[in-house]
Amino acid sequence: MSMEEKITVRKQKVVKSHTRQKLFFFGGLAIAVLLVAAFAPYLTPYDPYEQDLSKALLPPGNGHLLGTDRYGRDMLSRVIMGSQTTIFSALLLVVIITIVGGAVGIFCGWHGGKLDAFLMRVSDIFLAFPGMVFAIAVASVLSGGVINAVVALACISWPKYARITRSQAMMIKHLPYISAAKLSGSGTWKIVWKHIVPNIAGPVIVTAVLDIGTMIMEIAGLSFLGLGAAPPTAEWGSMMSNGRSMLQTSPWVILSPGCAIFLTVIIFNLAGDTVRDVLDPKQRKR
Amino acid sequence: MERKCLWKKTGVILLTLTMTAGLLTGCGGKSSSSDPSASTEKKEQANDNDASSASEGEKVFYYGDTTFNAENDEPDVNPHYGYSGWACIRYGIGETLFKYSDSMELEPWLATEYENVDENTWTITLRDGVTFTSGRALDAEAVKECLDDLVNVHERAKGDLKIKGMTADGQTLTIETQEPVPALINYLSDPYGCIIDMEAGVTDDGNVSATGPYQATKVETDKGLTLIKNEDYWNGTPHLDTIYVKTITDGDTMTMSMQSGELDGAYGLPYASLSLFENDPYTISSVETSRSFYGTINYESEILQDENVRRAIAGAIDKENFTRVLMNGNGSPAVGPFPASFTFGDSTVTAQEYDPEFSKKLLADAGWKDTDGDGYVEKDGEKLTIRWLTYPSRQELPLLAESVQATLKEIGIDVQVNNTANHLDFVDSGDWDIYASAMVTAPTGDPEYFFTTHCLDDSTVNWGGYHSDKLEKLEEKMSIAFDAEERSELATQMAQTILDDNGYIFASHLKMSIVSGEGVTGLTAHPCDYYEITADLDKN
Repeated sequence: MSMEEKITVRKQKVVKSHTRQKLFFFGGLAIAVLLVAAFAPYLTPYDPYEQDLSKALLPPGNGHLLGTDRYGRDMLSRVIMGSQTTIFSALLLVVIITIVGGAVGIFCGWHGGKLDAFLMRVSDIFLAFPGMVFAIAVASVLSGGVINAVVALACISWPKYARITRSQAMMIKHLPYISAAKLSGSGTWKIVWKHIVPNIAGPVIVTAVLDIGTMIMEIAGLSFLGLGAAPPTAEWGSMMSNGRSMLQTSPWVILSPGCAIFLTVIIFNLAGDTVRDVLDPKQRKR
Repeated sequence: MERKCLWKKTGVILLTLTMTAGLLTGCGGKSSSSDPSASTEKKEQANDNDASSASEGEKVFYYGDTTFNAENDEPDVNPHYGYSGWACIRYGIGETLFKYSDSMELEPWLATEYENVDENTWTITLRDGVTFTSGRALDAEAVKECLDDLVNVHERAKGDLKIKGMTADGQTLTIETQEPVPALINYLSDPYGCIIDMEAGVTDDGNVSATGPYQATKVETDKGLTLIKNEDYWNGTPHLDTIYVKTITDGDTMTMSMQSGELDGAYGLPYASLSLFENDPYTISSVETSRSFYGTINYESEILQDENVRRAIAGAIDKENFTRVLMNGNGSPAVGPFPASFTFGDSTVTAQEYDPEFSKKLLADAGWKDTDGDGYVEKDGEKLTIRWLTYPSRQELPLLAESVQATLKEIGIDVQVNNTANHLDFVDSGDWDIYASAMVTAPTGDPEYFFTTHCLDDSTVNWGGYHSDKLEKLEEKMSIAFDAEERSELATQMAQTILDDNGYIFASHLKMSIVSGEGVTGLTAHPCDYYEITADLDKN
C-alpha cells in the first residue's frame, strides 16, 4: 500500500469516527427530546393547564423557572407539555407522508403507465402551490385542530416522497437482482417488500429525519395562525401566538416556546444531517 | 486544503455577523421624535394606495381602530344598515338629533328641543343653518325622508321607534307613534338615528352624505376610511384636513404602529400594551362604559334547559379575576346588564355569586356526577359538554372563553370553545350552547333598549330563544312608562328577572381606552362608546 493510499484510508477512518461521534451526540439529543415529549406529563413541575390568576405573568424565578403566562400557568410545564403535542404531531405527519408518498412513489415507479403519469401530474399540481398557503387554506376548510393541521400539511407534503421513491424504484426495477427475483418466481409484493423497499429506504429515511424540523415549524406555524391546536392545549405555536401582545411587557411568555422550537428544530436538523452522513456517504461534505 | 477551509469558516462568520447586524438594525429601528420627516415618510408609505397624499401644510391624522369591519356588522358608514351607524357617528361623519352628555343625559344636537305633545305624539324642532355635505339644508322634510327609510330597512330601528307617521313643517317635525314610546328621543339618539340626506342617497360602497365635521371620500370594508374636513360644518371648523381610519384587527400590529408613529391615535389596543403608552408623548383617555361581556344561553340546548345547570355555570365563572387580571383592571365585574353608574345598574340587582362548591352541588342535584373519574361529570353516560361560541375581534372574549374553560372544568364541565370570526353563521345554525359576545347595553342611556332587542319574544336578536312571562309583562309596563324613576324601577325588575332565570350571564363591563400620540388633542373616550372623532380633534 502506497503512502498516499495509507493517508486516504486513515482519513476515511477519522471521518467515519467523527461521523459516529456526531451521530451519538445529535442522535442522543434527539432521543432525549423525544423522551421528554413521551414522558411530558410526568416531568412537568406543575399542572400545565391549571390556572391561578393570582400568579399571572410572574417573571422567571420565584419557583417558576420560565415564569408564568397571563392565566398564571407555569411556562416550563407548558413548554414540556407542548413538546408532546408539537413533536408527536410532527412525527405523525412525517410518518403519514412517508408512508403515503412512499406507497404512491413505489407504485408509480414499479407500475408505470397512464396511472403513473396521472398521479405524477397530481403531485405536480400540489407542488405548484406555495406549500404553506395551501396548508392554511386546507386547515381553514377543515376548521382547525391539531389533527386537521396534520392532515392539511400531509396533503401538501406527500408529493416530495412520492417523487423520491418513484425515481429510486424506477432505477432499481431494471437492476439484475430484481430480474433474478422475477425469474425465481417471486411475486410483485414480495419483490417490492423484500428488494425495493429496503434498497430505497436510505434516502427516504434521510429525507424524513431532515423533514421533522421543518414539520415542527409548519405545525407550530399553523397553530400560531390559530389553525392548529385549540386553547387551552399546550402547543408551542399557539403559546407563541397567545403571548404576542406581551412581547414587550412579559417577553418570557413568547420566548420560552420560541426557544423550545428553535432548539428542537436545530437538534432534529443536525441529527438529520448526521443520519444522512451515515446512510448516504456520497452526499457527505468533503 | 486548509486555506479553503479557512475561507469557508471566515465566510460563515461574516455571514452570521451580517445577518445579526441586519436583524438588530431592523428590530431597533424606532422612529426618532427629533426627525418628524421620518415618521411622515413612513405614514406616506403606509398610505401609498391612497390617491390623496398629504401636501405641505395639510393636517393629516392617522387613526387605528379594531371595529370597522363586517365581522362587527359595520361594513360601511350607512347608518341604515346593521351597526354601521356606529362607524358613521364614531368617525364624525353623521350626527343624531340629540346627543349624550358625559353623564349620559340628553342634549340638543341637530335638534334644539322636543315636546311630548301626548303619549303618541312628539314634536321636534330642528336647528337652523345646518347643511348636509351634499349641500342640502337640514329641514324637517330631510329628517322625515331619512327616518322613513330607516324604519323601512332597519328591523331594530323599526321595532324601537314604532313610527306610525311623520309630518314635516319647515324646521318642525311631528312624529306619531303606533303606541307610546317613552324612550323615543333616546332611540333617535342611537347611532342608527344619524341623519343622512336621502336625496343624495347611499353609494354602492355604503357612503352617505351627512352633517358631521368630516365626510368620507373612500369607504373600504375591513380596510378603513378616508375622511376629509367638512368645510361647511355648522358647529365650528374641524382642525384636520384629512383623517385616515385604518382597520387593524390585530392588537399587536396596532401597538407597533402606534409605537413607530404610523398612527396618531388608536382604539382597541390590547390591555397588555396599554402600559407602554402611559408616559409622554402618549396620553390615554379612559372611561367606564355600558359595554358588557356576557354569555347568552341557548334554550334550544337540552342540557341548558335545566335550571340547575345554568345556575351552576353562572356560579363557576370567576368574574372578579377575569376583570382584574385578564382585563388588566380595564373594567368592572358585572352583576347584570348595566354598570353600577346607572340608577338601574349593578348595585340594584343580584346574581349567582362565584361559588364553585355550590355549583358542584347544583350539578349533583341535577344528576350530573363524575362516574368514570375523568374529572368531568356525566349523566346517563353522557359527558356534560358546553359549546362556547365567541369571536376574536373583541380581545376580551377569547380571554373570557379560556378562563371559563378552566373554571368550569373545576366543577366538571367540559367547555369546547369555538372562537371564530364566522360566529353569526354559527348563531344562525344553532350549533352552540352559550354565545359570548360584547354589547353596549345602554347606548341610549335608557334601559329598555337591551331588553327589547335581546330578551323578548319579538326581539330581533334574542339568539337563545329566551322567554319569560314575567319579563313580557314588565315590558308592557315599561313601554308606557314615561317617568324616569318608574322606568329605572322597572329596569331593575327586568334585569333581576333575567338574572334569576340565568338566561344571560354577565361577566364584565368595559373601561374603554383611547390612546393619543404626540401633539394630539381632543381625542376623548365617551361613556356611550361611540363618540370618538369630533370637531375638537387636533394634531399639533
